[in-house]
Amino acid sequence: MLYLLLIFFPIAMAASAFVLRKNSGMAISVALGAVITMMLIAAQIPLDDPTRFLGVTLTLNALNRMFMLLFLALAGFAIVGAWHLPHGENFVPTALLMLSEVCAVLLLQNPFITTLLLAVTGLSAVLAIVDLPAGTSSLVGTRAIAAALKYMVLMVLSATLMYIAFVLTDIFRPGELPGRLSLSHFILALLAVSFALRLALIPFHAWLIDLMEHAEPLVVALVITLLNTSSLLVLLLAFQSFPTLLIDNEGPLAVMRIGSLLSAVLGAGLSLGAGSLRRALGYLILYDCGMVFYGLASVSSLGLAGAVFGALNQTLAVLLLLVSLSLLERPDGRPPGVLRRDLLRRWPVAGAGLLAGGLALIGIPPLGGAMSRLLIYQAAAEKGWIELLALLAATLLAGLGLARAAHERLLGPSEDEAAPEPLMLGETELDRPAPRRLAPEPRSAAALTLILLLICLSIGLYPGPLLATIDGAIRELAFIRAL
Amino acid sequence: MQINWFLIGIGVTATVVLLFRDWRLTFPALLLNYISLAFFLAEQQFVAPDLILLGQMSTLVLVKLITGVAVTLILTLTALTFSREYGLENLDEFGLSELRRAARTAQRQRASQPFQLGDYVVPFWAGVLALFASTALPWIYAIAPTPAADFAWYWLLLTGVLTIATASDMLKIGLGLLLCASGVDTLYTAVVSTPNASGLNVIPLALLSHVHILLALAIAYLSGLLYGRLKTLELNELYKR
Repeated sequence: MLYLLLIFFPIAMAASAFVLRKNSGMAISVALGAVITMMLIAAQIPLDDPTRFLGVTLTLNALNRMFMLLFLALAGFAIVGAWHLPHGENFVPTALLMLSEVCAVLLLQNPFITTLLLAVTGLSAVLAIVDLPAGTSSLVGTRAIAAALKYMVLMVLSATLMYIAFVLTDIFRPGELPGRLSLSHFILALLAVSFALRLALIPFHAWLIDLMEHAEPLVVALVITLLNTSSLLVLLLAFQSFPTLLIDNEGPLAVMRIGSLLSAVLGAGLSLGAGSLRRALGYLILYDCGMVFYGLASVSSLGLAGAVFGALNQTLAVLLLLVSLSLLERPDGRPPGVLRRDLLRRWPVAGAGLLAGGLALIGIPPLGGAMSRLLIYQAAAEKGWIELLALLAATLLAGLGLARAAHERLLGPSEDEAAPEPLMLGETELDRPAPRRLAPEPRSAAALTLILLLICLSIGLYPGPLLATIDGAIRELAFIRAL
Repeated sequence: MQINWFLIGIGVTATVVLLFRDWRLTFPALLLNYISLAFFLAEQQFVAPDLILLGQMSTLVLVKLITGVAVTLILTLTALTFSREYGLENLDEFGLSELRRAARTAQRQRASQPFQLGDYVVPFWAGVLALFASTALPWIYAIAPTPAADFAWYWLLLTGVLTIATASDMLKIGLGLLLCASGVDTLYTAVVSTPNASGLNVIPLALLSHVHILLALAIAYLSGLLYGRLKTLELNELYKR
């Protein structure tokens, strides 16, 4: 019953929020109540206690519960952020719908169903991408429509490849049908391409950059934190369900590692030459996706722990980055149309959030990403020093990319200080207009940014409890024991 | 050698979707494709018959038919209502003038682009390529229990991908995606129902139909948005502005 409640309750609340969508405050309150209730339900579900429903097994393990609670918390943060940050009319109901689908992905253990649910999450995200604020007087941007179309096509193709791979695993028997391309190689290739599409690894990354440039940051945050990370957990489930795929596939796994290395290096390199802040952040996220996928493709307990920790850090860092970006892009009371370079001075909390989010993504201590990077570097060192050097080079490039973006947009001198002009003849101080007072950051969004920043910092300073949970969950995985 | 008319139906209707651009031709072809596929699955007897409707058939066939009708209805209703204007009451003068400009541009473009045989050359050769591949692959890399089923899913998937690759408007992309989904649907039904597989389950089958319908809704929504914005479904206009 609790399992079904986690799946169907948010759908019912999404319908309510849709009815209330014109009243943004009410819709946000309803959604927040729903998210808190879901967290309570998720905490009540006993671990590793499978139940059957219509021939399908539903269960929740420690790792999935940790991510489910994280997703719910992050969705709650995003919904609170919507109070002051720009978002579409249907953002709140779509977020609840996506939460329901992601909960179903984490609860259901059937690869066919999880694949189809991932496809459905992609279609739900399309609604949010082209959404306009209620009562807006402008037209939806053509680039936003193009980004939504690209996202939809790539997600459906990804689901198609994934589904074919899972159908093949259903009839795969090791050692069968000699003389043709090994079915296990073929399945692994299909899985690699489909997850590369979902996780936006280069060269399948175009959708992420388009979304970063043309969609609202809160929507992009939900797509990356909820949908991409749940895809990663599905890949872990696939490895867990079909460990034979990994045992005789040393060559293809090496190709996957090299592919993710290239993705990390190219993503970091492209962030150096990005023409806009949004693009630079998009490439930094690509770099991080490459690093996380590398950890997964290393198929070692160290690499997997690093990948899972990295995925967790990515969800937090990306939300922090995008909430901060959304704050930085608000009209700031100064003349529009000027590229500002003093954003840290103008919006100190948002500027600090953006810097901290970027540093967490790159894995600089004492922020949350440092531990995951350490584990991934160790896993790379086990595979050879060339791979380790490539990862370190990617991190260096990403650091330079972030430094360039910060130098160009955040750390410039204040542009508000006008030189005091002498009084003109006959003019008194009282004749002059009052000095301009720029509005500070909205309190709720600034508090949200600070909370996320503190969470990133505390995970970086005290990674032990999380690492122990992740390590325990990784050791339970059958394929790790088999390898 | 016995002719499998349903397989030919799948082949011909997918070819019409790949070759033609007018939705008045491609939507009926899509509906016929769903019908041919449903009867092909019934004929191949991947699932035991449990219904008596026009002879013995399984519920699965009925589900596929309902899905096909729903998908085609969604797309057809969307195409029929393109001429209507929605949500103009909130637009400011700039938005309205942009819409007028878009309508003029689309009208000019339609007038200056008469029927050209050259537009069909790439889809035609793509179809030939798909035909060769779909005929060869069941022998080179057989996956489904029968060559006919293998041909059906390879053909649907390849024509779907090539329709997307050669599409010049948004509806065509949607049709390509739906053909891909049909290909996967066929593969799942054919392969997982074999004795050495895990067996068909009602939830994945229901979700597959659900995905078809949601996909049609998403395509209809995006097409409506694009047409409302640019008064055309041409993709080159989408990237031009």
